[in-house]
Amino acid sequence: MIASISAMRAAIFQADRFLRGAGPFAPGASAARPAWWLPLMVVAFGPIYGACMGSFQLDSSDRLFLMLYGALKVPFLLFATTLVCLPGFFVLNTLLGLRDDFRDVLQAIVAGQAGLSIVLASLAPLTRFWYFSSSAYRAALLFNVAMFTVATLAGQFVMLRYYRELMRRHRHHRLMLGAWVILYAFVGIQMAWMLRPFVGSPDMPVSFFRQEPFSNAYVVVARLFFGG
Amino acid sequence: MIQWFRQLDELLRGKITSPDRLVEGRVELPLRRFVPLAVLLGATYGFFMGWYALSLYLSKTTQDAACCWQAVACIIKLPALFLLTLVVTFPSLYVFNALVGCRLSFTATLRLLVGAVVVNVAVAASLGPILGFFTLSTTSYSFMVLLNVVLLAVAGFVALAFLLHTLCRLAAPPTPARPVAPEVPEPVSAQPDSRASFELHRKPGPLERLPTGVPEQGLGQARTIFQVWVLIYGLVGAQMGWLLRPFVGNPNMPFEWLRSRQGNFFQAVVTHAQHLLDVP
Repeated sequence: MIASISAMRAAIFQADRFLRGAGPFAPGASAARPAWWLPLMVVAFGPIYGACMGSFQLDSSDRLFLMLYGALKVPFLLFATTLVCLPGFFVLNTLLGLRDDFRDVLQAIVAGQAGLSIVLASLAPLTRFWYFSSSAYRAALLFNVAMFTVATLAGQFVMLRYYRELMRRHRHHRLMLGAWVILYAFVGIQMAWMLRPFVGSPDMPVSFFRQEPFSNAYVVVARLFFGG
Repeated sequence: MIQWFRQLDELLRGKITSPDRLVEGRVELPLRRFVPLAVLLGATYGFFMGWYALSLYLSKTTQDAACCWQAVACIIKLPALFLLTLVVTFPSLYVFNALVGCRLSFTATLRLLVGAVVVNVAVAASLGPILGFFTLSTTSYSFMVLLNVVLLAVAGFVALAFLLHTLCRLAAPPTPARPVAPEVPEPVSAQPDSRASFELHRKPGPLERLPTGVPEQGLGQARTIFQVWVLIYGLVGAQMGWLLRPFVGNPNMPFEWLRSRQGNFFQAVVTHAQHLLDVP
């Protein structure tokens, strides 16, 4: 018990230093900390929001599984999207002569995701409070979209803190930052669509994936707009 | 094999096309390694492209088992598209190049063009996981065609930038070796300028415009060669793509290795434009 409390205090202390960009988390101090600290933050904080997101209308023991699924899905969403985008991004960086910086680029990307996860975790009580106040499924979905948008913007802010140093070194990093944001958003939206349900509609059975064939988010949106 | 990828890495990092290695218009790009690399990387993108036909069969959207051959066809056709286009266009590209007075030799021209093809297919192959990921969840043929067009267009533009910048570097006269400057101790109190020290040590990438000190006329010549190459390669490549159809594989049509040779790419463009504008 005491050990877990002290581990939690240590995690919060490190998260605080990370949010401030201080100590071993200063943009130029990557050598001062183990490389796995930032991914560990995603794994530690991402599930907090995921579990909270899955706690909508907990009126049966089955729906407890949605909390577990949500906790697994948030870090998976972030890491899997990165994995799909990384080969193309790596080759483009190499071609622009930025290979020597790629370690720092990777650090900036993971730092952005760690920032996103911590901000999401801090927003988890708000989501839970929303679920207490309203039982409307559509409103719950929209609230979660809003929380993810806020956290993504905060993640971008953290990522930019690391990228600023890189952009000072070479102007092409600005171009690559834009390319990463476009690639990540394009793949991430589809990844999130495939990993549904996150909140879990009360009218549907509890499951890890929707019990229907995978579909394409962009095709669905295009059909909504243009019919067909 | 590791040696091959090391050389591919050197090409992508711009070491092979760095100004000091392009001395006297030579391009140090061994064809016996880079041609198989072009085939391998093209086949990698083709592999991801072919997933669409496989996923349609596995998800039982189509019952025709023959459509699985589309995956094999893609693996063969993708490298064939780039390399056959090069075979058809190379003589004219070389002749025009010589006519304009470029100092690239026959083999150097071939090596440079193979290098551009390798860059093209390497970028395409690196974007392959994105294509494969979308294939897992998409049955829409139009979406897959558009996604392929976008990814191949990105790869194509990167390869064009590589070709243009390498031609501009080749236009520069060979530079004499830079004399070694005596080391000056840096003041301890001074803040290290990260940009200056980084610029001092980093090797420029192959897509970077370097200050070559070449007169505008020399660069203009390089640009003219580039424009003509793009025009010839682009037109022949478009028609080659038309001949090698189908690539993605329309789920409403039976599998065939090659479609019958009816019409051409340009006719099809005109027909589509007429159809769009409702011209009889």
